[in-house]
Amino acid sequence: MTMVQIDHVSLRAGSTTLVSDVSLDVTGGSWCTIIGPNGAGKTTLVAAVAGLRTLYRGSVSIDGELLADLNERRRARLVAYVPQHPEIPAGMSVEEYVALGRVSFHGVLHAPSLRDREVVAGVLERLELTDFRRRDSASLSGGERQRMVLARALAQATKVVVLDEPTTGLDVRHQMDILELLKTEVAECGLTVIATLHDLTLAGLFTDRLVLLSRGAVVMDGPAYDVIRSTQLAESYGTTLRVVTVDGIDVVVPVRGDAHR
Amino acid sequence: MLASPPSARRVLLVVVAITAALVVAVICGLVIGPTSISTQRILGDALSRVGIGHSTLTSTQSTIVWQYRAPRMVLGLLAGAMLAVAGGTYQGIFRNPLADPYLLGVAAGAGLGATLAIVNVSNNAAVPTWAPLLAFAGAMVAVTLTWIIGGRSMKSTPATLILAGVAVSALFTSAQTFLQQQSSTQSIARVYIWLLGSLASASWHSVDIVVPYVIVCSVLCVLAGRALDVMSVGDDEARSLGLSVRSLRLLVVGASSLGTAAIVSVVGLIGFVGIIVPHIVRLLVGTSYRRILPLSVIFGAAFLVLCDTVARTVMAPSELPLGVVTAVIGAPVFVVILSVRRMGTS
Repeated sequence: MTMVQIDHVSLRAGSTTLVSDVSLDVTGGSWCTIIGPNGAGKTTLVAAVAGLRTLYRGSVSIDGELLADLNERRRARLVAYVPQHPEIPAGMSVEEYVALGRVSFHGVLHAPSLRDREVVAGVLERLELTDFRRRDSASLSGGERQRMVLARALAQATKVVVLDEPTTGLDVRHQMDILELLKTEVAECGLTVIATLHDLTLAGLFTDRLVLLSRGAVVMDGPAYDVIRSTQLAESYGTTLRVVTVDGIDVVVPVRGDAHR
Repeated sequence: MLASPPSARRVLLVVVAITAALVVAVICGLVIGPTSISTQRILGDALSRVGIGHSTLTSTQSTIVWQYRAPRMVLGLLAGAMLAVAGGTYQGIFRNPLADPYLLGVAAGAGLGATLAIVNVSNNAAVPTWAPLLAFAGAMVAVTLTWIIGGRSMKSTPATLILAGVAVSALFTSAQTFLQQQSSTQSIARVYIWLLGSLASASWHSVDIVVPYVIVCSVLCVLAGRALDVMSVGDDEARSLGLSVRSLRLLVVGASSLGTAAIVSVVGLIGFVGIIVPHIVRLLVGTSYRRILPLSVIFGAAFLVLCDTVARTVMAPSELPLGVVTAVIGAPVFVVILSVRRMGTS
């Protein structure tokens, strides 16, 4: 069943087209990763899927509801968003930060309900943040911080989570940790994930489907195995890439051009 | 800045301390003055008015306390509370520690309005009674203009609005300077006194004028505390969490500007309260606006009445302008706050 429907979406900044005529259907309980070179329009597209950008043309609907018709509060019940560089407010505890995910449930005039607090406690437990819950959110390390931001998104209890480069600035182990956590949510809770990723190997390793975006348009869309091996991939990035299979895992390796040999 | 969120015990301690400051301020406001009247006798008089015991005050003393000191004290409480909570609210909605309503043109607009009123009366008249009305109108025109210029474009950010405020303020200030330059020396002096702010002309009538504004606007600001905490993650993320950022900004900027304009129109430009009171409170109870805003109401009220007590006693029988006192106390306190914050972050 289609959970996210992106229908002929175009986005502009002034007279510059950032995303042009993108259409994608994302099935519920699947993970779709958008890859592409810098400036391809990935960030703009995912922000639009989260309902945070005004579309120039087209529409985005989630679970059958057109985002443009909804106010912020109802949108927050459908889709959660993790930006590439989340703002971490100093002086707010990890627990308070994660509880921000429940604002659309209890509203800004009321305190979190018992149910809200239970959900927050559950998410903290699931993401192994319980021991940190009283810590200042700004004092966490990169890996802990990213887990905390993910916890806030999961506390929203939405069917769809949109993430922009969730592994930015993390070391290899913490990159794997975050992606494993997401994979578990997809497999066990039926979460629908739309993410952008720079690391093509990780993208291929965790994702059911890859969408290659270049200059604002979809160049290729399909199973990770096919997209990673396509000639369009290297063309879009403007470099030579080789796919090596190690223990059954596709590894994308950049190759230096002849001039550098 | 607190390294971690404050404990409940610490918050309670701060609440008790700030409430005690308020009580001290109220007592100072009623008791201290050229005519010495003891706290017990004032309290006895107050109780006699509700039918308990009887008063030992002469009618002159009673007039001094209840017609001069009391309205002045109450106006000080209202002004301090409003300026402080409006400053704190602005800092939250613009996520800028130096923001306060003066920044979006309230000060310059009110200044122009008051100047218009003052330079247009004959030389022997004092500040005309309709000066507050023009000051209020000037403040609201300036803020509305700022909003239209800075808030209208699709991509408007808090920075656009603040820049628009700076531009509008410059325009209004230059118009005011022109008016002053065209007028007599005496009216320049009166404009100047008004600009420095004072509670000296306080009466129950002026209290009546500002009470509705202060109650409605400060309640709205305090109620916005939880929303401002959500705002601390930035516009985009706050929207993704379900907050209608545009409506919130319109509501709280409107409420704090309106309340500030009402206060400024009656007491003139009293600076620093909106900046230092919320910062002191933040230093004591952490960064959550759910705690900062209500405590700023109480502490702001106490702070301004205490400053006014200083203003009217250190050079008695003449008075220091209140704006000078808040600046003299405020500037060093601000420096201390900055250095404490720097130590906290390093």
